[in-house]
Amino acid sequence: MSTNIVECHQITKHYGKKKALDQFEIAIPSGRITGILGPNGCGKSTFFRMLTGLVRPDAGHIEVLGKAPSWQTNQDIAYLPDRARWYPNHTARAALEWGNSFLPGFSMERAIQLTDYMDIDLDAKVGGMSRGQEARIMLILCLARDVQMIVLDEPFTGIDVISRETIVASLIDYLEESEQSVLISTHDIQEVEGLFDYTVMMKEGRAIWTGSTENLRAEYGSLRDVFRKMYMKEWNK
Amino acid sequence: MEEQQVGSLHFHIDFSQPLYEQILDQARSAIAKGEIALGDKMPSVRELAQELRINPNTVMRAYQELERDGLTEKRRGQGTYVTSSPEHVASFRTALAARYIDSFMEQMESLGLAWEDIETYIRQKRDTEQGGSDL
Repeated sequence: MSTNIVECHQITKHYGKKKALDQFEIAIPSGRITGILGPNGCGKSTFFRMLTGLVRPDAGHIEVLGKAPSWQTNQDIAYLPDRARWYPNHTARAALEWGNSFLPGFSMERAIQLTDYMDIDLDAKVGGMSRGQEARIMLILCLARDVQMIVLDEPFTGIDVISRETIVASLIDYLEESEQSVLISTHDIQEVEGLFDYTVMMKEGRAIWTGSTENLRAEYGSLRDVFRKMYMKEWNK
Repeated sequence: MEEQQVGSLHFHIDFSQPLYEQILDQARSAIAKGEIALGDKMPSVRELAQELRINPNTVMRAYQELERDGLTEKRRGQGTYVTSSPEHVASFRTALAARYIDSFMEQMESLGLAWEDIETYIRQKRDTEQGGSDL
C-alpha cells in the first residue's frame, strides 16, 4: 500500500474548446480496487486513455507504475476498452490464442479456466456474440494476464444481468488470489459498490473526492446516495 | 437492507455504513450467541465476499480481527474455524457486554440520570416485557 500506481499533477486536456480534464490531480495507491466514478463526459475515458499513452496531456505530469506512460509501462497493464474489436470470424478460442501470442504475461491455462467459470463456449464465433458475452471474453483477456495493473473501462455498461453478475463474481474470486491493482470506471454503481476499496469521484474534468471507500461511507453514506447528490445537476439537465 | 445467509451465519449489510465493522460486528455476535457452533468451520473469505458482493480484502481484514479476538483460529490449508474453547467465547462475550454497558451508561449519564433512575427504568422495561426470563 506504500506506493502509488498512478499519479497525475495538474493535467489539462482539451478537445477543441471542450476541456476533458481540468487541472486534474490524483494519486491512486497500489493493491486496491479503485472505482473511478462519474457521469458520462466527466473525463473518465480521457484519463484512462492517458494511462496507456493513447492520449497525451496538453499540460501537467502523469506517472504510471512510476514512469511516464509508454509501450514499456503498457506491458504491465491489462486494458479493457469500452468496446470490443475483434476478427469476427474468430472463435472464442482463436481470440484467446491471439491474446496468448500478443499479450505479455498471458496464461492460456488461466484463460481456459476462466472461460469455464464464465460459461463461454470456446468454439462459438465472436462475431455472433451478445454484448454480455463479448464483455466476458474481453475480461478474460485481461484477467488471464499476470500484470501489475488492470484497467477496466465501463465493464458493466450495456450488458445483461447474468453477465454482470458473472463479471462481478469472477473479479471477486480473482482479486482474492492476486496482489494486482485494479481500476474500474463506471457511471452505474448498482450492485458493484461493495467491490471498491478506494474511490475517485470525477466531475467536469476534476477529481472532486478521492479516498478510501470506507471513509466515504462513514462521512457521506452509500456510494449510491453520494452519487445521486453529487451529480444531481447533470441528471436533471 | 436484505438479509443474507452464508452457511449458518446471517448478515445484513448496509452500504451506507463502513462494511468492515458490519462484518466484524455481525460475525462476532454470531459466535457469541452460538449461531455458529464451537469448532465449526467459518465460510471462506472468498465465499463470504461472493455472497455479500464485497471486496475480499475487506472480509480478510475482518477475519484477522476475529482471530485476534480469540474467536476463530486458522488451520493451515483448511480455512478458518470457530474456536473450540468455550472459555474464549465466554470471556469475549463478557468483554463485549462490558463495552455495551459502558456506552449505555455514558448515554444515560448524558441525560443526567443517576444510578437509581437507571435501575428504575430497567426494571420498568422488564415489567413491560413480561413473560420473558429474568434479564
